Parts: sequence; C-alpha cells; structure tokens
Amino acid sequence: MQIAIASGKGGVGKSTITASLLYLLKDRYSFVAVDADAEAPNLGLLLGVTEWEEEREHIGAKVARINTESCVRCGICYERCPYGCIYIDDDGNYVVNELTCEGCNVCGLVCPVAGTINLEEVRSGIIRKTTTKYGFPLISAQLDVGKPESGKLVTEEKEWASKLMKELNLEHMIVDSAAGIGCQVIASLGGADVAILIAEPTPASLSDVQRAYKVVQHFREPAYLIINKADINPGFRGLHEWAEREGIPILGEIPYDRTIPESMVMLRPVVEAFPNSRASEAIRKIAERIAEEILG
Amino acid sequence: MQIAVSGGKGGTGKSTVAVNLAVALKKLGTELTFADLDVEAPNDHLLLGVELANEEPVMQFMPRFDYSKCIKCRKCAEVCEEHAIITMRDGTPFLMPNLCSGCRACEIVCPVSGAILEGQRLIGHTYVTKTPYGFTLVTGKLMEGEERSMPLVVAAKKKAQAIREGLLFIDTAAGTGNTVSKAIEFSDLLIAVTEPTPLGIHDTELILELGKLMGIPTWVVINRADLGEKEKVHGLARKYGADVVAEIPYSENIVRSYVEGKPIVLTGYPEAEIFTGLAKKVLESLGGGE
Ligand code: SF4
Ligand code: SF4
Ligand code: SF4
Ligand code: SF4
Repeated sequence: MQIAIASGKGGVGKSTITASLLYLLKDRYSFVAVDADAEAPNLGLLLGVTEWEEEREHIGAKVARINTESCVRCGICYERCPYGCIYIDDDGNYVVNELTCEGCNVCGLVCPVAGTINLEEVRSGIIRKTTTKYGFPLISAQLDVGKPESGKLVTEEKEWASKLMKELNLEHMIVDSAAGIGCQVIASLGGADVAILIAEPTPASLSDVQRAYKVVQHFREPAYLIINKADINPGFRGLHEWAEREGIPILGEIPYDRTIPESMVMLRPVVEAFPNSRASEAIRKIAERIAEEILG
Repeated sequence: MQIAVSGGKGGTGKSTVAVNLAVALKKLGTELTFADLDVEAPNDHLLLGVELANEEPVMQFMPRFDYSKCIKCRKCAEVCEEHAIITMRDGTPFLMPNLCSGCRACEIVCPVSGAILEGQRLIGHTYVTKTPYGFTLVTGKLMEGEERSMPLVVAAKKKAQAIREGLLFIDTAAGTGNTVSKAIEFSDLLIAVTEPTPLGIHDTELILELGKLMGIPTWVVINRADLGEKEKVHGLARKYGADVVAEIPYSENIVRSYVEGKPIVLTGYPEAEIFTGLAKKVLESLGGGE
C-alpha cells in the first residue's frame, strides 16, 4: 500500500509527525519511506541520517544555451521566450538565465541562425538511498538551486522505492509529500492508495490543506486528517467543520508542545526523544488508528 | 526598487516577516506594492486579514487541433518538452491539457497553417486587493491540479509590475526551484528568513546560494532565534557575505498575531520594534526608498 502524507504547505509539522509515525510503525510493518519534498528535504535529517549508501544524479532538466559567436542579435528569442528568461548582458549579448529557464525550447525554434541556441540537459538534482538506524530504507531527493522539474525527481524517487519494495519484499511505501500543490505534490499523491493530510488550526493552513485536498480528490484517494498544534487557536473550528463537510475522518489532534521543536534540534523523532510528552502521547494514539484503520 | 522576502523551507515565518515588514515600511512613509508570489499556497491576505478582491483569470495558450487540416506529421508531439501531446498510431495528435505549459513550441513547428488553433485554458487567478494598511496586495493563485506554477508566477509578477506604486515588495514560495528564482529576479535586495534549527540551517545555505548565483545582495533574518544554534546561521551568512540584520525570538505574541491575521507591528508588543527597526534598515540601504 502507498500512503502519502501532505499538507499543502510546509511548516505545519508534517515531517516531524511523519518521522514519529515511521518510528512507531516500524516494528509492526515493513515499508520504505520517501521524502518527496525535493526542494527542502528534511525527513533524513529528522531520522538522524548522516550517510547515504547510494546516490544517483538526476539528469533531465533542460536549459537553453546561446552561442554568442553565431548569434546575430536579432532579439527574436528575447521577444518569444514565454517566461522572460532571456536578457541582454552588459556587452549586448543575448543570454539565457539558467536559473529561471523552463527548457521549453521555444527560443531554439524561433532563432533564425541554426545551431545558435541549443537545449542542453543538465543535472537537476540528486536522489539518494540509505537504511535508517531504525532499520527501514529511506529515499530522498534534493533539487539543485534554480532548477525546474522537481516533479520528475519525485517520480523517479517513487520508481526507485517501488523497486526496493519488490527487492526487499516490503509491504508499504510511505511518502512525505512536498509543500505546495504543483508538480511535486501531484507526483507525490499520484498512485497513492490513501492520503493523510496534516494541518494546524489557522485560516492559512486550512486554505492550504483544502487546496491539497482538491488534488487528492482528483486522484480519488480516501483522505484522513491530523490536526497539529491543535490548541494554539482555541476559537477556530474551521478544520473540524471542513472535515465534517467533506467526510474526512480526523485521526487525531496533537497539542502544541515545545518537545516537538526540541526534538527537531536533537534530530530525533519526538516519540523517541520525549516518549512521555503530550505530543508523543497524541501521536501514539494516531499511529494506533493508522494501524487499525489503514494498514490493517 | 524591488525587495524579495524568501526562505529555504516552509514554516520559517517568512510570510510573517514579509507582512510585518511591508506594513512597517508603509508606516514609515514608503509607497509600496506587495506581491504574494507563493502561487501554490498564497496566504499573505489571510495574515493581513483581508479578502481577495478583483479576481482576474489567468488564461494560458493551449493548442487545439483542426483535424481537417492536420497532416499527422507528429512534429508537434516531438517538439513538446512537456510530453503534453500524444499521437495515435496513425499520427493523429491529442493534447493532455494538464501537462501543457502554454509555450507554443507546437504551434511554431506545425507545418500546416491553421492545423493548430488558439485554445485557452484557465490555470489560475490574480487578485488585486486594497489593504487597510495603505498599500495594494497583488496575489497569484494557481488552480488545484495544475502542474506548473511558473506561468502563474510570471503573470502575477507582471500584474504587480504594471500597477506598482513605489517599491515592489515580493513574498516568494518556499524552496529554491526556478519559480523562486523567477519571483526574486531583478530584486535589489533579498531577505532570507531562516530558523536556527538543523533543518533551517540546511535550507538557509540553499537560499544564500541562490542569492549569490543571482547576484542579489542578501540579508538574513533569524526567526525563533532562541531555538537552536544561531551561531551556525551567522557562520553561513559570513561565508556568503550576507548580513544578519535581525533576530526574532520565539514569541507567543507573534503566533497569536499570525493566527488572528493582525500584523504585530501595529501593536504595542515589544516585538513590533523588531520589524520597525528592520524597516528602517531597509530604507537606509535603499537610500530612503523610492
Ligand atoms: S528554453 Fe524556453 S524558457 Fe528557456 S530561454 Fe528558451 S524560450 Fe525561454
Ligand atoms: S534569436 Fe538567435 S540570433 Fe537572434 S538574438 Fe536570439 S540567439 Fe541571437
Ligand atoms: S504549448 Fe508547449 S507544452 Fe503545450 S502542447 Fe504545445 S509544445 Fe507542448
Ligand atoms: S505538427 Fe501540425 S500537422 Fe503535424 S501532427 Fe501536429 S498539428 Fe498535425
């Protein structure tokens, strides 16, 4: 089974909760964990990973390059780039800003001088695998600065994870989804059997999680909700009302608890570092419900 | 003048800093337009306590095929970097709209005039909202299910540039992908909001790297400065030649103001001073603003 954990935006504690859930479920189930937040991966850090067993460069992003020698400075590429990624440098040369280029090749198609603009494949990031000290394997990716196509990195991560599941005979894949609702998240949620959404009781987080849920609906996956920092905004009922309206079961509520940031600083799951804290108790209950209702 | 506020990862308090700094700058008399370019999760209006207004659709080109003219040469499918066009065995092209980025490469290569017609697709919206703080907020919001945020970042930024008054003040998405580069492009100053946790430190390095690659002078604001090892953030900032310009302690007042959608800089809480001080520094560095 493939479970994706998503929130619509970072910062609501998704990775910390995921790390704790993995820790609590590891003895009863076999799984591979995937950190699909290629722009800011941190599940590895939270699980105390310091070394990677295997790394693969992901070549696949494309960026345009202009050969200044043969360019006749007609400016057509500059006019036609749909994303405004071509500029004129101080010497009057037309140059592609590789940090914003989407690799669509429109400039190359419109350039009147054959061979002047070439679309080149560049490294877009790195994907790596390790076995955590808790025994289960983890796959993580890191997008290079200023590169497009983080969704493709996530797709490749999940392909690697599927292969591992077969090789090691693992039952589940647990994906810590990226922030946002774009290609990375679509790649994270696509193919999942169940989505677990995490939100905190603020209007901003409600708005983010509702948007992520629309992507979940697109894939027709059953969804569950976990409310984090449940007590920071006592008057706010928005999450409950929304979950009720949509028929999304609430797996549990985790109180705001300083042991969570403290465990992050220690780079350990909070349920391991502070097993008796209020947050850990709440997370343990949630893990039980996941075991009963989802993993079976 | 253009200033961008960014942070390597989500949840560092980037939006809180952006919103409060914008309000503080305006209070000090700077004309500005605020652009929320976190198009996948735009929240600044919630923090400012305003409802989005003046919705405008962002349409994107997508090809429509006139099958009576198409000669099934497959050129459009071959050129599409997004693989948004699939062809049947006989060469008939079909579009998968979700994957199309609207770049027009297919239209450019199609050898038959009129075989590819102008289609349009809604990919999101921009909003132009007057705020009670004296500046206008421009927001870009991507439709759920859309893969590519770049076209919306471009559209929202253009909109903000078109209506801007004075300083263009930009809040970006989290991360360091190319849509963040697009948002911060042409900034005179990048303010990176970080956290001194190991995760925050890891992401700080990436955003500093992006600032360096783009040649934009970068400042660092350390949020929740008392949680973790801020010396490491200082060390990284030194390595990249960036100044640490403010440290914000972990504060219940800030959490509360965030939750309530009231900028803390307008309150009497001591935390307000931090943002006012930061705004003054920004004005000094920009020579009094515009
Ligand atoms: S490949 Fe596309 S995005 Fe990149 S510079 Fe050329 S036209 Fe612009
Ligand atoms: S279209 Fe080709 S020749 Fe013209 S400016 Fe661009 S690169 Fe140079
Ligand atoms: S507009 Fe660009 S992305 Fe869309 S189908 Fe044509 S070539 Fe592909
Ligand atoms: S390039 Fe034009 S003629 Fe050729 S298959 Fe595509 S639409 Fe048809």
